[in-house]
Amino acid sequence: MKKTLLLIVIILSTSTLFAYDLIHPIGGRATAMGGSSVASQGLWAMQNNPAGMANLEKISLGLYYENRWLLPETAYKCGAFALPTKFGTLGLSFNQFGSSKYNENKLGLAYAKDFGRYLQIGLQLDYLMLKIGNDYGKFSALTFELGIQSHVTDKLTLGTYVFNPVSFSFEQTLNHEKLPIVMRFGLAYQFTKDFVVQCEIEKDTERDGVSLRGGLEYEAIRNFYIRAGVQTNPGILSFGLGYAISFAQINVAAQLHNELGASVQIGMIFRIGK
Amino acid sequence: MKRLVFIILVLSFTLFAKAQIAIDTLSADALNNMLIEQVERLAEDGDDDADYEDLLENYIFLSENPVNLNSDEVMRLVELRLLSVFQYEELQKYRRFYGDFMFLDELEMVEGLDEQTLAIIRPVVCIEKDLSKDKITFNKMARYGKHQLVGRYEQVLEKQQGYLPIDDSALLVRPNSRYLGSPQKYQLKYTYNYRNKIRAGFVLEKDAGEMFFNDKVSDTIQKLLGSQYHRGFDFAGFHLFAKDLGIVKTAALGDYQIAFGQGLTLWSGMSFGKAGAGSSVMKQGRGITAKASASEYAFMRGAAVTLGKGPFEGTVFYSNRMIDANVSAADTLDNEAELVSSLQETGYHRTLGELQDRHAIRQQVVGGHLAYAIAHFEVGYTAHHTWLSVPLELKPSHYNQFYFQGQCLTNQGLDFKYVKGKYAVFGEMAMSYNHQVEVPEPVEGPTQAQTAFRQAQGPAFAGLVGLTVKPAGYLNFTILYRDYGKAYQNLLGNAFGEGGRNQGQRGIYLGLEAAPAPYWNLLAYADQFQFTWLTSQVNAPSRGHDYYLRISHSFNRRTQAYLHFRSKTKMKNSTNGMVFSHYPILYTKNTVRFNINYQIGWDLHCTNKAEYAHYRNEDGSNEHGYFLCQDIAYKPENKPFSLTFRYAIFDAKDYNARVYAYENDVLYSFSVPALYGKGMRVYLLGKVKLFNALTLYARIGRTIYSDRNTVGTGLSQIEGNHKTDLKVEMIWKL
Repeated sequence: MKKTLLLIVIILSTSTLFAYDLIHPIGGRATAMGGSSVASQGLWAMQNNPAGMANLEKISLGLYYENRWLLPETAYKCGAFALPTKFGTLGLSFNQFGSSKYNENKLGLAYAKDFGRYLQIGLQLDYLMLKIGNDYGKFSALTFELGIQSHVTDKLTLGTYVFNPVSFSFEQTLNHEKLPIVMRFGLAYQFTKDFVVQCEIEKDTERDGVSLRGGLEYEAIRNFYIRAGVQTNPGILSFGLGYAISFAQINVAAQLHNELGASVQIGMIFRIGK
Repeated sequence: MKRLVFIILVLSFTLFAKAQIAIDTLSADALNNMLIEQVERLAEDGDDDADYEDLLENYIFLSENPVNLNSDEVMRLVELRLLSVFQYEELQKYRRFYGDFMFLDELEMVEGLDEQTLAIIRPVVCIEKDLSKDKITFNKMARYGKHQLVGRYEQVLEKQQGYLPIDDSALLVRPNSRYLGSPQKYQLKYTYNYRNKIRAGFVLEKDAGEMFFNDKVSDTIQKLLGSQYHRGFDFAGFHLFAKDLGIVKTAALGDYQIAFGQGLTLWSGMSFGKAGAGSSVMKQGRGITAKASASEYAFMRGAAVTLGKGPFEGTVFYSNRMIDANVSAADTLDNEAELVSSLQETGYHRTLGELQDRHAIRQQVVGGHLAYAIAHFEVGYTAHHTWLSVPLELKPSHYNQFYFQGQCLTNQGLDFKYVKGKYAVFGEMAMSYNHQVEVPEPVEGPTQAQTAFRQAQGPAFAGLVGLTVKPAGYLNFTILYRDYGKAYQNLLGNAFGEGGRNQGQRGIYLGLEAAPAPYWNLLAYADQFQFTWLTSQVNAPSRGHDYYLRISHSFNRRTQAYLHFRSKTKMKNSTNGMVFSHYPILYTKNTVRFNINYQIGWDLHCTNKAEYAHYRNEDGSNEHGYFLCQDIAYKPENKPFSLTFRYAIFDAKDYNARVYAYENDVLYSFSVPALYGKGMRVYLLGKVKLFNALTLYARIGRTIYSDRNTVGTGLSQIEGNHKTDLKVEMIWKL
């Protein structure tokens, strides 16, 4: 029953829009916090808001896997690599959503630079590829993502992010499927050393309404985090745990959707260097 | 040296006493405003007829009989959700380190008590020597005991349909077309309180439409009613309550309320439920409490006692009372048998039909509770057994097939609580067992309904577990998970949940409370729930969510404002579909409200409230509701009177976009009318202290509609576009 429902959802959604499934916040931390991520930092910021990786200190390698609604056909995989240099942070990422019958892919080349405490800017160039099985074909498009962040005070960070700001689309497909423009802005507020609240708003031009997201993270024991969050449109509650040490971190999350059930996410990051 | 200390003490005391007067008048408002808000939210969630008297009575009692900060009584503030468990721990810690409180101002030095909490609890605490171990003598009881007598009269001034004259023959054709009694409501209540240790009292009430001593009905009606014919006070109750008598922790005789753990197994009265929100979703079973209110449905009548020694506490209770029910002779060859088709919960006995249902069956409950508490951990076991004198057999329907039916029900539950440092973990597991004696034997293979009916017998389970974390003094978050089995039945439960029933529900709640900056408070929660079986007017398992955000700010000690948003999505049968397929659709109600309280000079207190409600559903319905109001209260200091006035306008096309607005009322009475349609609402409330002991309240309110010529429906319908209500109350204190 769930599978049929899902297939219907997927078919319906893919007929009108593309790459929605790829363009959502990833990483075991962001997904556990209701998807709020536009003002957070780290390796997965490359996908969520590239400005957030401007301050990376170590070479980082990350792997992420998401099993949506616990169905293998809707798996999301991502691998990312970031290299901090004197001139800013360079990043490379590959994302894939779907199965062999239908999949969406994104190859990204990112760059982020820190202009002091008040401004970080990030940019990612994307090569998008859509593959539909049974010889329906392969379609591709080029676009980019842009993001800024600002540490306004010691406690407050603001962030803005736009995917596909100039509205590129897939020219070759039959219906000239539009790529959505996705814009988010939000904040992260560091209440105490061990407690953060994040919230943001997202507008996706191919979806009705806006999505509001909020999440919290608490470092319960040293290096050990508990997280929870909520997202509207669609309504999802999420929870997660994380463990981080200097050279590695692992985050797991579960998202609960009222109609479709649970999704699980796991993300790992390894850091190399001093 | 001694002299110097003495002078400093006296000086600081006088300073403190001066400040005290100013703070008191303000902070009583803080508590009041908090309750107003919670009651409004409770009204939004519940049904319109809910009786808040019993719930709010505890708060009024508290404001008249403050708890001693230097005694265990402070726990009552936690039970009434004015303090969180963390704040309570901090208070206890403070007392352990620095000894007993000497001044109320010391409260400001207790960690984790923000300005808002301080403002709320200040008027309900006091500092006294701990007298809880004091011997009680009749002499002292006579000398220090406080007596109070409250008499109240209420009436809607316009003639309502149910009171219009009718001749007997017409009434006999449609016997439920008139109220048999007079339109006045009377209540008389007497209470006695000795230092919160001994309490006693009685209450008498006659609702509007019920027959009083001087009301007459024709002989035929009287004959029809037979033994159900009743005149005079419709409800009468008394209570006797004692506390801290050596090994006897509490004891009650007469009417009482009883609540343990998280309320999944036993919670006889009402509770704020989700309306309390934030850190207070963790309930605090308050054991046995006196019930002095005239609310007629949810309470116990009998005897109860709690004994405690060391870490152990044991309670036994028994309740035996008549409840309202619709009794019909069963349709069998054996016509001795009687069945109940429904239990009536309103407490009204105004028409022939309602009178026939009055006190129709006997409900007996016996049960107990065992608790063990050490430093940070508490565990309790509750069990109770309910009998009805006549078996309940509901009109068969899909949605109610797992509801309680039959004659006997046993409930058991295990609750626990662990509070330490930054963490509070709490939960309750409960089990119900329905002893259905007669399981209908299927003749030719069981039908679906019969199978379900048998499933509804026997054991069923429910559970909830929660975690509250307090990363810093001024913020905390809560995660609560609940799963109530679809056949879990309980006639005396009231745990956290969506809607009134702790049955067939699963959900997760996530809440956050924070003070991001001084004088700013934030409260947010998200609750996602699923109903695992059909509910009334929802023909399929359904789901929904409830989001809430509230931001409040104190501009100064005399000016507070809050802004809140609420978005609630649930399902209800479509009214658009074809008659044979009422399928459920989603509906959403969004509410935005701004409220500000401020003071002009010392005497004028003002409140402005603006609310916008938006209702939409998948049928395409789209409705808006607006409400604007101005309250002015003139409360001159050192004068024996006060006046409160409200002018409000509302505009909501339909009931779906209705707005709830709490109204100031005579003491011990509460009104939260649901306003819809188009019109205005005004009221004037006056209070005069005639002598030291005697206070008089009077209130007159009128709703005037501009979009209709009749107000109300059914028996309460009024010809005309206005409805006027009058209340007069007298309180005599000794």
